[in-house]
Amino acid sequence: MAKNLPKTGLISWLTTVDHKRIGIMYALGSLFFLIVGGIDAILMRTQLMVPNSTFLSGETYNGLVTMHGTTMIFLVIMPLSAAFFNYLVPLQIGAPDVAFPRLNALSFWIWLFGSLLLNTSYLVQQVPSVGWFAYANLTQKQFNPTHSVDFWILGVQVVGLASLIASINFFVTIVNMRAKGMTLLKMPLFVWTTLVTQVLLFLSLPVITVALVMISFDRTFGTGFFNPGLGGQVVMWQHLFWIFGHPEVYILILPAMGIVSEILATFARKPLFGYTVMVYSSCAIGFLGFAVWAHHMFTTGLGPWATALFSAATMLIAVPTGVKIFNWISTLWGGQIRFTTASLFAISFVAMFTFGGLSGIMHSSPVIDTQHQASYFVVAHFHYVLYGGAVMGLFGGIYYWFPKVTGRMMNEFIGKTQFWLYMIGFNLTFFPMHFLGLEGMPRRIYTYAGDQNWNFWNLCATLGAYITAVGGALFFINMLYSMIWGAKASADPWDGRTLEWSIASPPPEYNFAKLPEVSQLDDWWYKKYTHDGKRLTPPQQPVVDISSIHLPNQSFWPIFLAGGITMIATGFVVSANGVMISLIGVALTVASTYGWAYEEP
Amino acid sequence: MSESAHHFQTSTNIENRKFAMWVLIASECFLFGTLIANYLINKGRSIAGPTPQDVYEIDITTLSTFDLLMSSVAMVLALHYCKEKDLRKFQFWTFMVVLGGLIFLGFQYHEFSTFVLKEGLGLSTNIFASSFYLLTGCHGAHVTVGVLWMSSILVTSLIKGKEWFNSDIVEVAGLYWHFVDVVWIIIFTVVYLFVYV
Amino acid sequence: MQQPAFDESSYKLFDVSWDAPMDTISGLTEWSRDINSVYAITTVITIFVFFAVAIPLIWTLVKFKSKGDEQTPPKQFHGNTTLEILWTVIPVVLLLFIAVPTWRILFKHAHTPEGAMQVDVIGHQWWWEFRYPQNGNIITANELHLPENTPVVFRVWSADVIHGFWVPKFGGKMDANPTAMEEDGITPKRWSVLNIVTPSVADANKKGGEMYQGQCTQLCGPSHALMRFNTVVHSKDEFESWAKTANTPPAVETTLAKAGEQVFARCQACHAITGTPSEQIPGPKIGPNLTNFGNRKYLGAGTRLNTMENLAAWLRDPASIKQGSLMPNLGLTEEEIQQVSSYVRLSTTKTY
Repeated sequence: MAKNLPKTGLISWLTTVDHKRIGIMYALGSLFFLIVGGIDAILMRTQLMVPNSTFLSGETYNGLVTMHGTTMIFLVIMPLSAAFFNYLVPLQIGAPDVAFPRLNALSFWIWLFGSLLLNTSYLVQQVPSVGWFAYANLTQKQFNPTHSVDFWILGVQVVGLASLIASINFFVTIVNMRAKGMTLLKMPLFVWTTLVTQVLLFLSLPVITVALVMISFDRTFGTGFFNPGLGGQVVMWQHLFWIFGHPEVYILILPAMGIVSEILATFARKPLFGYTVMVYSSCAIGFLGFAVWAHHMFTTGLGPWATALFSAATMLIAVPTGVKIFNWISTLWGGQIRFTTASLFAISFVAMFTFGGLSGIMHSSPVIDTQHQASYFVVAHFHYVLYGGAVMGLFGGIYYWFPKVTGRMMNEFIGKTQFWLYMIGFNLTFFPMHFLGLEGMPRRIYTYAGDQNWNFWNLCATLGAYITAVGGALFFINMLYSMIWGAKASADPWDGRTLEWSIASPPPEYNFAKLPEVSQLDDWWYKKYTHDGKRLTPPQQPVVDISSIHLPNQSFWPIFLAGGITMIATGFVVSANGVMISLIGVALTVASTYGWAYEEP
Repeated sequence: MSESAHHFQTSTNIENRKFAMWVLIASECFLFGTLIANYLINKGRSIAGPTPQDVYEIDITTLSTFDLLMSSVAMVLALHYCKEKDLRKFQFWTFMVVLGGLIFLGFQYHEFSTFVLKEGLGLSTNIFASSFYLLTGCHGAHVTVGVLWMSSILVTSLIKGKEWFNSDIVEVAGLYWHFVDVVWIIIFTVVYLFVYV
Repeated sequence: MQQPAFDESSYKLFDVSWDAPMDTISGLTEWSRDINSVYAITTVITIFVFFAVAIPLIWTLVKFKSKGDEQTPPKQFHGNTTLEILWTVIPVVLLLFIAVPTWRILFKHAHTPEGAMQVDVIGHQWWWEFRYPQNGNIITANELHLPENTPVVFRVWSADVIHGFWVPKFGGKMDANPTAMEEDGITPKRWSVLNIVTPSVADANKKGGEMYQGQCTQLCGPSHALMRFNTVVHSKDEFESWAKTANTPPAVETTLAKAGEQVFARCQACHAITGTPSEQIPGPKIGPNLTNFGNRKYLGAGTRLNTMENLAAWLRDPASIKQGSLMPNLGLTEEEIQQVSSYVRLSTTKTY
């Protein structure tokens, strides 16, 4: 059935196995959820603008807290990073596609359906309200009798499955599909951080999978894993969640680090400073990321020895991170820095991430952490790292690669306006939160009394959020404007260094007419310049007969299989006929698996 | 399950699907690691009985362990004859793998039903039971997937006959099957034998 | 209909002082002073690192800004081993300056001193229960009374979901984790421990001690924000007299209060008052102990001032002030509200 499917139109997108199209769909999906998560944030900030506000109720506010965190992490930063993995990794390693194109499509559809499942909770007004790390035993049926928590469990479970499949796919792609001559230490740094991210994903996701199954069992079958009355322990959930959750933090930041490394090198027109050390420090961050989970639990009462050990491991992470920051600055040193929107975002990443890292060092000391934990100081910290860090880096990536993807340049004037609105708004929102934390404002409170000396800083934070929202709106306007009226982009508009700039913008479906051969790091740069800076004429892509290039066939099975898997999960969040829906899901899953297996790829 | 360009020269010379299976196995190690750790932490925390000592039938489980080990041997032979392109022997040993898996699942069905019906140990009876069923049930699900996979291979080879000697697929399925066996050896040791330590 | 959670108090948009009711940096106890000493070191180091990053970054951006007319690209250099070793080693040294005092203080405060006064802190959705096993088994709620300059060991746990016990001016917090209970349903099997030495009372002549605010720090349901409490530190004498009255049965004198005593029969499944039939009902109480309620400054877990008006508003519909409150709307008439209010509020034996 896969033969002769249309190459354009809706069906072509539903059946596509092209990594570039899947990347675009990931990007559009995650940008949609960026709006959703952003609205959550604006509503929360509006509630907190003044003390004693009754704009939202406690339950609604808790729902927004939970959905904002879950959305931004699982439905925005992770899939937006995945969009970059999809679009760029095959291009940067000189491959025709990923190792498993249909699995790649499957990951996307599972992610999309899982995201929609999670967001259905808004429609049925059973919004999970237990926080994005859903500490047991608030998640027990006794305390949350509706399906709200089930939506969270199954949404995260399904989205996690998508990431697991994608991580295996990308790990194999990077290790196995590199162009001739591209040894591991000749890969662009973005490919390296992607590789480390995939390892973190496929090793940490199983842990959360088990933990989620355990709460599902508690809620559905009455087991007592997290019910102290039945012998369970609530702290067990915290361990399991953070064994996943801390690597997850690096899963969120490492791709942005890779993107920023690419952008800074391009716009300084210099190689990345200390490339090898950057690779090792990425690996070190990934490795240490598994040994520090309990620093989220310094106030749980772990005892001094465990606390001391985990604090030592946490402090160690500052070392490879610090190395990276100085290497980025040194990358700029001696360059010819061009200030485009992309490079501004990348530079702001370095600054904001450093700032978030410094408050992170404070929390690595458990004695300080007992004062900052669960206060607005921590809220400030992780927004500096994940928003000022990861999201700014990803925005830089969008501005940087937009011409490659669409063949048009993004508007620099709107872009720079957005950048400055973001910088001002972001810092106005989150810098005062340090003060709020020091003045004792706990996180996740939906209202506060007027006599706490928190009023001014909360007002600032809310105004900052509104400014950021304007910046966000400009970004979407810019995307639409540039898609239609943007200046035409050449194949290599930024004078780039990596292989994706050696082919047309947008790239042809088959990527490379002839698979490239690579002899050094930044190979494409040295096809354009000699080592002492003389211009060379870069080789053109050969003209080939397109019909001679074998491309994987389009397929309906990924979307069917993803639908089946999501239906199984849906059975757990409906009150009536749940078993029936799950069983239909099982049938669809099995049928699609067989259809897939016996289809000619 | 044939995926990706067959003729693509991979950077490591390891076929993509085989590589992917190794990566999946790494991931599964963390899955079973978590489940086993959870079992070890929780097995003694039950508020009420029955306890592990009350319910385990070590002789029967030893038998089912032996059966699963033998199916791994059958798997080795099936792959060997697949590479040798000996259709009959390949099909026979593939059948033996499926049979071994089914017998193991039969043992597990017997074990679970005895626990539930005779010993009164349901999924939510106590936290030992919950952790035990979660761990062994997850393993049983893996065996079930393996049985389905191997029987699909068997049926395919029966239909397609001599042209179908896809040793790549059999090797990947074999990796999976051996992994599931190794996990069982660990579960057998940690869950069933450590009771007597 | 949702009402504002707190009394409309004097609203000041901006107060330049750091002296917030819950600030973390006042350093009143040894525990919080020790935390602040590490925090001070860390702040100095992080400010140093901040400038060590910011100055080179900004300088680089200014110095190497493209003129836009470069004919050849800059020199393509790939690294500098000496520099890279330098900025690996220096952070390690700086971190040691944070790590060593951290661990010293961590172990110092993990130890409970001899003869420390034991207070049990139990989190509930959404209020705090305090028990004093060494002081005549006082049970009280939302107002923690302590003698000055006394080592105290808090045993912290929760009756339902996880809560966080935090008095910022006293130092770091401790989670209140739910636990399995012994047979009696009151004694926990596990708890966490927090050690502090209480501060002195600055003005010994002031009646009623010094009040410090605390709040729950773990998301625990819809009214997580309304789970506050007050800690009152007394001179030792004053604490003794508080402990005595805290266990004194109410003095029911007025007819209104006598009628209220009858109404209270409907409350006693959940609320206990010392020396009344409510104590005879077995099992743990799910609502706060209301003995000498009139001595408390706030009601509703530190949300509103304890006045007749506020108490009446609370009794009319608890959930309108505290969403999800486990206290149902009892459908009391205005008259009954007046009666039961005067019983629980006005029949109190005054401590000071």
